[in-house]
Amino acid sequence: MTTPIIDVRDLRKSYGAIEAVRGISFAVEKGEIFGLLGPNGAGKTTTVEILEGLRRADSGTAVVAGVDVRADPVGVKDRIGVQLQSSAFPEHFTAKEMIELFAIFYRRTVDALALLRAVGLEDKAGQMAEKLSGGQRQRLSIAVAMVNDPQVLFLDEPTTGLDPQARRNLWDLVREIKARGTTVLLTTHYMDEAEVLCDRVAIMDAGRILELDAPRALIGQLLGRGFTKPVVQQQADLEDVFLELTGHALRED
Amino acid sequence: MGQIFRYVAMLLRAYARDRTALFFGFFFPLIFMILFGVLNLGAAARVNVGLVDEANNDDSQRFIATLSRIETFRVSRGERSDEIERLTAGDRDLVLVIPADFRVAPARPGSAVPTLTLYTNSGRPEQGAIGSSIVTQVVDQMSFAVTQTAPVISTKHEEVSGHNLRYVDFLTPGILGMTIMQSGIASVAFPFVVDRQRGVLRRIMATPISRRNFLAAHVLQRLVTLVIQVLILLGVATLMFKVTVVGSMIALLLVAILGAALFLCLGFAVTGLVATENAVPPVTQLVTLPQMFLSGVFFSKEAAPAFLRPIADYLPLTFLNDALRSVATQGSSLAEIGPQLLGLAAWIVVSFVLAFRFFRLDT
Repeated sequence: MTTPIIDVRDLRKSYGAIEAVRGISFAVEKGEIFGLLGPNGAGKTTTVEILEGLRRADSGTAVVAGVDVRADPVGVKDRIGVQLQSSAFPEHFTAKEMIELFAIFYRRTVDALALLRAVGLEDKAGQMAEKLSGGQRQRLSIAVAMVNDPQVLFLDEPTTGLDPQARRNLWDLVREIKARGTTVLLTTHYMDEAEVLCDRVAIMDAGRILELDAPRALIGQLLGRGFTKPVVQQQADLEDVFLELTGHALRED
Repeated sequence: MGQIFRYVAMLLRAYARDRTALFFGFFFPLIFMILFGVLNLGAAARVNVGLVDEANNDDSQRFIATLSRIETFRVSRGERSDEIERLTAGDRDLVLVIPADFRVAPARPGSAVPTLTLYTNSGRPEQGAIGSSIVTQVVDQMSFAVTQTAPVISTKHEEVSGHNLRYVDFLTPGILGMTIMQSGIASVAFPFVVDRQRGVLRRIMATPISRRNFLAAHVLQRLVTLVIQVLILLGVATLMFKVTVVGSMIALLLVAILGAALFLCLGFAVTGLVATENAVPPVTQLVTLPQMFLSGVFFSKEAAPAFLRPIADYLPLTFLNDALRSVATQGSSLAEIGPQLLGLAAWIVVSFVLAFRFFRLDT
């Protein structure tokens, strides 16, 4: 077995009296898409922000891409790409300039157009980033996260607020990134998203990991425990109707 | 360093596209300048001078002739008792008594120097202040012309008394000081509070750029735009209002940069004290408004009510305005404005400590 690219051991973090993360351990293998699932307030974002070097854990260790996060947060930042929840880009830059701007933060020079092409935004290179649609902005945000050619890409609720077309488009993009050999750690509270994208998922609640396995395996375990639900044999759902009517093509609003 | 400069270049590019910032940074101070300059609120600063000539010799005649040529002055002559009475009545802003022993010559060792007596009307403080500073300048120049050798000095004297004593000349350094204060604070407080709220700073801090380089680039970009602002304002003042900067431009810019450093620090401190964009204007107004009125932007700071004077004298903008004005209108060297520079330096230390204590990048 190879060394995991993310190795978390007994991580804890409290804000005052609130224990956001209560001793979690998990490992992410190189090249997989790993999902952190859980309801709001489960501790997903805190966990991810510790791994990204943005917050300090109270105790426990986390090694990301060979770097101890606590000892060298800047070293970690240099090796990973991030897309943060509820963050924004500085204003008055075009999509292409945004890539160049972030390249400065990593002291790198990049082919901005190639990165935009990879996320399907080449024709928006000259457009002001704040004028892009929600889905386009998420894709730009992923392109920006790739400027340092990261070993691990962190996506915090990447599809929240997107329409079904844009969600599917983003899923394709994440799969392409995986195909290029980048490890992806994403958080989401959409189970369909986790099911189609993730190789393995950890389900968190109240600061603890409850289960960790491949989505299929978790479903199998549940059924094995005798779980049943009233089955309505339905070959399609409302989302299928929506996509059938409006098409899979991306909307450039 | 390369990282800082590349980032500064990007910040300047974004700044050039930011219409709000451009409006408040460039257009707004120009409006002030043009409004006050064209309306020539110098009319309000027209000073009624009563002259009492007890010497009545060639030197005193020459002195009176010089004073009479000054645009700001409306000169009348009379007896001491009559003039003092008119001063009390408010018909005069200033009464100047030329003593019987008045002469413009190097003082003989041991003998007393002739002393001019200035009476001002405490009810019209700004006229009194403008008037007495002009008289002091004229006297300085006359004695300078005598104690130094030479025709060189006398031409300078003409130029100074011809151009340099109008209201716009007084106003221009005040507008510069005001702009440096407002831009310095606003150009930091607004963007940083907004960017912090929107999560922009968090996103940038998720990259390996150090806080030090990040802040250095932002400060440097502000200093560059402030210098451009100052140059544009001076350009307009020179071309539209024929303002002459008597002192060195380098000295003026150095003072401006010191002032900018001070108010940028205050801006960073303010950023730490407010949580939301809506709270920025009241807090910045609280800092800037009193200084606009007490620190001698539009009128002499002597115009401030007497009980506020002790405070007004030590406000950051007072030091900045006095230093700028002294260089621009009297040609003072950096050494001559030492006390003001010291005041600015003290405030820079104070505001840096405040900024260091209160500024934060994260919510």
